[in-house]
Amino acid sequence: MNTGLSWNLAEDFRQLFLYSFMVNAYRAGTIIAVLAGALGWYMVLRRQSFAGHTLAVVSFPGAAGAILLGASASAGYFVAAIAAAIVIAAVPRSLGGKARSSESAVIGTVQAFALACGALFVSLYGGFLNSLTNLLFGTFLGISPAQVLTLLVVAAVALAALAAIARPLFFATVDPDVAEARGVPVRFVGTAFLVLLGCAAGEVSQITGALLVFALLVMPAATAQQITPRPALSFALTIACGLLIAWLGLAIAYFYPEYPFGFYLTTLGFVSYVAAAGGRAAASRVRKVGLQAVTA
Amino acid sequence: MPRLSVRLIARVVTTAMAAVTATACSTAGGTFAPATSRLITVVAAENFWGSIASQIGGRHVSVTSIITNPNTDPHSYEPTVDDAKVIAAAQLVIENGIGYDPWAADLLAADGATQTVLNVGNVVGVGVGANPHRWYNPADVQKVITQLVTDYSKLDPADSAYFARRRTWFNTVALRQYHLLIATIRQKYLGVPVGASESIFAMLAPALGLRLITPSSFLKAISEGTEVSAADKQAIDYQITHHLIKIYVYNSQNVTPDVRTQLDLARTARIPVTTITETLAPPGDTYQAWQVRQLRGIAAALAIATGR
Repeated sequence: MNTGLSWNLAEDFRQLFLYSFMVNAYRAGTIIAVLAGALGWYMVLRRQSFAGHTLAVVSFPGAAGAILLGASASAGYFVAAIAAAIVIAAVPRSLGGKARSSESAVIGTVQAFALACGALFVSLYGGFLNSLTNLLFGTFLGISPAQVLTLLVVAAVALAALAAIARPLFFATVDPDVAEARGVPVRFVGTAFLVLLGCAAGEVSQITGALLVFALLVMPAATAQQITPRPALSFALTIACGLLIAWLGLAIAYFYPEYPFGFYLTTLGFVSYVAAAGGRAAASRVRKVGLQAVTA
Repeated sequence: MPRLSVRLIARVVTTAMAAVTATACSTAGGTFAPATSRLITVVAAENFWGSIASQIGGRHVSVTSIITNPNTDPHSYEPTVDDAKVIAAAQLVIENGIGYDPWAADLLAADGATQTVLNVGNVVGVGVGANPHRWYNPADVQKVITQLVTDYSKLDPADSAYFARRRTWFNTVALRQYHLLIATIRQKYLGVPVGASESIFAMLAPALGLRLITPSSFLKAISEGTEVSAADKQAIDYQITHHLIKIYVYNSQNVTPDVRTQLDLARTARIPVTTITETLAPPGDTYQAWQVRQLRGIAAALAIATGR
């Protein structure tokens, strides 16, 4: 039963997809990586990582509460993350520095309370809520075809909605004042974006756990935006990077099950970010040295 | 600058959507059906069921148990890739159910569940919220054995007579001491009041004819690792110090500070103490050897306590 990695790539590949649970995991991972990459790219650009993290953390009490009520954890992730997105969007954020600081305070308050609710639900459920570590740090085992279908439908709807608001959202992100003056509904696209981000956070939580969503929500976008400032290119790079992290992470977790899946996934994201940032620093240094050589 | 690029982004989003749809809809046959020549591959979520399953199946089954380590709390078990693999490769999966091992149901769902599933909760007809420790209920163990014979015979009809013989052998030979001890304790100590640390004893006590007077909320709380009420603790302290219980039965795999306090109180009050465990201990033991040793301990404690 213990099949390790061999030098035969084709054989490894066959091993990887031998079982339906891995096929389901790959389907789910692919859907989630694409959705998270798209929303994460905007999130990093809009500097709303804290909000994104909170939406994910809120999905934990959602899942725990759903299990407590006898519903599926999958539904709980979405309901809680989207509800929290609406709460956070209700806080005025368009009025300068003061409103911004109060926004992050509200988000922090919501996050702390949500985590406490999660602890309450786990305690109410009793010792039988045995997936606590999985809810927080992720798992790729036990993804059913029905769950994959749910992930797919939510991702398709969310991406369609994102495509519909992509242009005004980008405008409102890079220059909100000018966008507003030009008649872009800045507040509306901001709210819509947060709700979509809630969908993404709810999806990502289902495989990374509530605490490690950034592995797919921030890391790919942060990496891509280190590599290039061009929006379309960095957007495509984000999706590619997210897919690579998800696919490689699943493969490593399958062949080396000794350590937690969330650790592998996050480490891959971290390494790609460090490599991109390091490469960028090195490149700018080379350019500077080159410039000095020319002027000297 | 942004005009062209944003249109590009919109296009990338649409393409990505199409990619997602394509990936998710592509079919990949991942079901795993092992070829067998009259050897049923069985996976039991816990080793007490695994031990019974392998003895009923004899030479026509190969049983793998997932939870075998006595130090693992089945309530908080996190399955591994290897667990998912053995479940995918199994023909019969035995899960306790009753909210005890939901990870097993999750792994089955992820696998598309082509296996025969023996869910003990369904077999005995109880759902989530009931006492899940059915392997401590002799009547329920019999129901599970009956179901095992039925499932084995369905998977391997050619050997159905063999499985029926194994069942008779198991009950008359393997479980002989077990049945005998239960009958003896019942006969000698009927109605004797006893105390326990958790709900794994709650179904064995009535089967033995003993009167378990520990508040059931306390038994459940210790078993599930939740908050214990002060009122329950006081009631139990009173029961011990006033000798309302004759013996104290505790789970040595789960000695919480509250249980430790009660143990000390019982020893001071010279109330005999004996142990039972959640899973097979030592892990290589058979179900019957494990149960018999525990029943002997209970009988010995009762003999000291009552002088009978």
